[in-house]
Amino acid sequence: MKQAGSKNIFSYQYRLKRLRRDSNKWALLTLIILFLIALPVISIGVKLFSGPGETWGHIVDNLLFDYIGNSFFLIFACGAIVLLLGVSAAWLVARFEFPLREQMEWLLILPLAIPGYIVAYAYAGVFDYGGTFQLILESLGLEFIRIDIMNRWGLAFVLGISLFPYVYVSSRAFFLNQANSLMEASEMLGVGQLKTFFRLMLPMARPAIVAGLILVLMEVLNDYGAAKYYGVNTFTTGIFRSWFSLEEPETAVYLSALLIVIVFSLILLEKFQRRHVRFNSSRNNNDRIFRKKVSKRKQLVIFLIVLFPVLLGFLIPVAQLIYWATLTYGKVFDFSFLALSLQSFGIAFLTAFVTVIFALTLIFFSKWSRLSFVRNVSKLGVLGYAIPGAVIAIGIMIPTISIDKWLIGVIDYLFDFNVGLILTGTLVALIYAYVVRFLAVAYNPIESTALKVSNAIPDSSKMLGVGNLKTFFKVEFPLIRTGIASAFILVFIDVLKELPLTLILKPFHVSTLAVKAYEYASDEMVMEAAIPSLFIIITVMLPVIILNRQLIK
Amino acid sequence: MRKLLFAITLVVLSACKNEKNNDQAQENKEQVVNVYTHRHYASDQLLFKRFEEETGIKVNVINANADELIQKMNIEGAQSPADVLITVDAGRLTRAKDQDLLQAVESDILNNTIASHLKDPDNYWFGLTKRARVIVYAKDRVDSTALSTYEDLATENWKGKVLIRSSENIYNQSLLASLIVNNGEEGAREWSKNMVSNMARSPKGNDRDQVKAVVAGEGDLAIVNTYYIGNMLNSDSPEEVKAAKAVGLFFPNQEGRGAHINVSGAGVARYAPNKDNAVKFIEFLISEEAQEVLTNSNFEYPVNEAVEPSDLLKGWGDFKEDTLELSKLGEFNKKAVLIFDETGWK
Repeated sequence: MKQAGSKNIFSYQYRLKRLRRDSNKWALLTLIILFLIALPVISIGVKLFSGPGETWGHIVDNLLFDYIGNSFFLIFACGAIVLLLGVSAAWLVARFEFPLREQMEWLLILPLAIPGYIVAYAYAGVFDYGGTFQLILESLGLEFIRIDIMNRWGLAFVLGISLFPYVYVSSRAFFLNQANSLMEASEMLGVGQLKTFFRLMLPMARPAIVAGLILVLMEVLNDYGAAKYYGVNTFTTGIFRSWFSLEEPETAVYLSALLIVIVFSLILLEKFQRRHVRFNSSRNNNDRIFRKKVSKRKQLVIFLIVLFPVLLGFLIPVAQLIYWATLTYGKVFDFSFLALSLQSFGIAFLTAFVTVIFALTLIFFSKWSRLSFVRNVSKLGVLGYAIPGAVIAIGIMIPTISIDKWLIGVIDYLFDFNVGLILTGTLVALIYAYVVRFLAVAYNPIESTALKVSNAIPDSSKMLGVGNLKTFFKVEFPLIRTGIASAFILVFIDVLKELPLTLILKPFHVSTLAVKAYEYASDEMVMEAAIPSLFIIITVMLPVIILNRQLIK
Repeated sequence: MRKLLFAITLVVLSACKNEKNNDQAQENKEQVVNVYTHRHYASDQLLFKRFEEETGIKVNVINANADELIQKMNIEGAQSPADVLITVDAGRLTRAKDQDLLQAVESDILNNTIASHLKDPDNYWFGLTKRARVIVYAKDRVDSTALSTYEDLATENWKGKVLIRSSENIYNQSLLASLIVNNGEEGAREWSKNMVSNMARSPKGNDRDQVKAVVAGEGDLAIVNTYYIGNMLNSDSPEEVKAAKAVGLFFPNQEGRGAHINVSGAGVARYAPNKDNAVKFIEFLISEEAQEVLTNSNFEYPVNEAVEPSDLLKGWGDFKEDTLELSKLGEFNKKAVLIFDETGWK
């Protein structure tokens, strides 16, 4: 007995000692960053304790089943679509040489340039009465065929084709960096292409693919505009409904919490499936990539397979938008539009930069901290992506407004005048909210490339007495460059498209292209939304092309 | 550390700036009015510019969904820079009033120009423009004499023929709220239930889509706002114009209480830093000059009776409007949403 007791005390003391020994500034910094990221979630979480609103029972009785059913339907249907399109395209462009391959590589990212709800509007326009598709059918004498896209299958299709590039980008990065030696080895052993792909590459690429997939699913669960337009009730439409139509933020918070549970399970699932896989490879990432040369006919088949998602996710909606733009450009286009796009571009650029830095610090500070619990909780930083933009915006306003009020009080006391709101309604609050929302977008590609860097490399640097930061810049940074570039592209694109959060937090006189497009679309002037949408697409194309080149290097 | 220094510098800088402002005479300070608005039409931007030219008061605009604006004002509290809140329905304005976000305004111009059912009884908000929620029907399949009331659309006659958008939409919520007031809660519930079973398809899309669906033959008639028909008739898309021309427009309940209407309206924010400018601004919006612009470029009915509706609106004929106090719509909005959910109106 006595022995056991003393052992317990010993272990407690031992743990405390270990904690004291292992606490370093990196652990502290990680926790501070994590707190900043979690602050809006916490301020909403605190609201959970005030209990659900009185209509919670009403929602459970009448709507919850529908929300859960549709949300899970979308998870599976969109998941299947993005895996099929994303992985196959990534594999083909990474492994085969075919005409226009280089162009295809960046064209495949472009569907991300179009906001999901705009794709939804465009496709509704295509299949509409008097829409392009119907006109084509009519000219062929097939007018009796009518495709109704405005249902949950249509929604899954629209979200799938506009989000598959997340999977494409993350799995392509893997195939480009990892596939060569494995393929060579496999081929030397006489294993066929297909078998190599399914038995070797696919399992190896799983973490990268799943990382992309998780992003897609979070985005799917976050979608509001498209689901609302297509008349599909999901958790997010439910959150908006209970928050705004039923006037019960408490109930909305409960629905958000349920949604977070779903996303959290997805993240845990990913962690779980990744648990035994080690990615310490000694590969040199800068090797040239050897692409297989196949017969002309096979090249054509590959080209068509790769063209298919580009056609659906980019060319068709863009063609519809261009058609609308030709009808409305006189009304919409003027010089203030150029200023608007520059403003959008600037905000997105700045936010992408800040978000990447946050992601890097979170990943590396937690790695350098010796406390395992810090490393484990650092993953929580990506949860912001699971929370609808509008909810984050409210979550940001609660703390920033109290800080502002406190500042106003202090300054009024010290200097006897009113400074007004300093954080709220400024770019600081807006960019802060973007960082919270899009940290996952930057975190995942960086983490998955960082995982592939053998620990031996930075470890040997540190063993030679080089500090963490210097090791990072001299050794790790060059190795994870591709991941950082992917992260930057993705955040940039997401910010440029982001809507609900921007609508709530944007300062006076600041507007973005997405806001402009929404203003038109929400007032049933979908055709007028085409010009700002096309501007978003044009603005995004350039960085995609530039950074895509960097990814290949 | 650098960030902290930066923050301190910012605070000091903004402090200096403010002090300078305080030193200057009050009149020299730039006159502004900060507008939170759910309306984002070209006609509004035009009017804001004219207001700036005529008064020298600069108009700062934040565009967003009314719900989000209300939430924003709630959180900003006494520090809110908002002077005027503009929404596209009376329900949201009533909600803003209930949440203590607006203040009463005493203005003879506003009181004398706007009919009493189109404004808040305590002068917390004022209607700016009217829209009627009407029935449109396929001219080739429906005889307009067969149409009568909103209530009639819920009868067996129209099984599988009615098109209407989701209950998420505020115009539908307001329509049901008006039915709650006029026919009682049970009557409204019965109506909603029967409407759901009469629907030609599960609700989706916006008002324009309902019109197109009528023309495509998915249903025979739809409930939509007049304002969208006006916009479709003047659309840049030939197909939309064609669709709008293929339907007839019917004002329901003309024998009884009149067609359901809603307003775009404005109220002065509770903590408006520029209250005088805010009142001037709203007065300007209901002036004959502004109302002309609103009805002619945006196909809304003017609240200022001195102004005639645009030619297009006149073409639809005069109609009798339900003179139910619009503030009631806000009062029964939540009840309406609950009934929609219970009766399975998506």
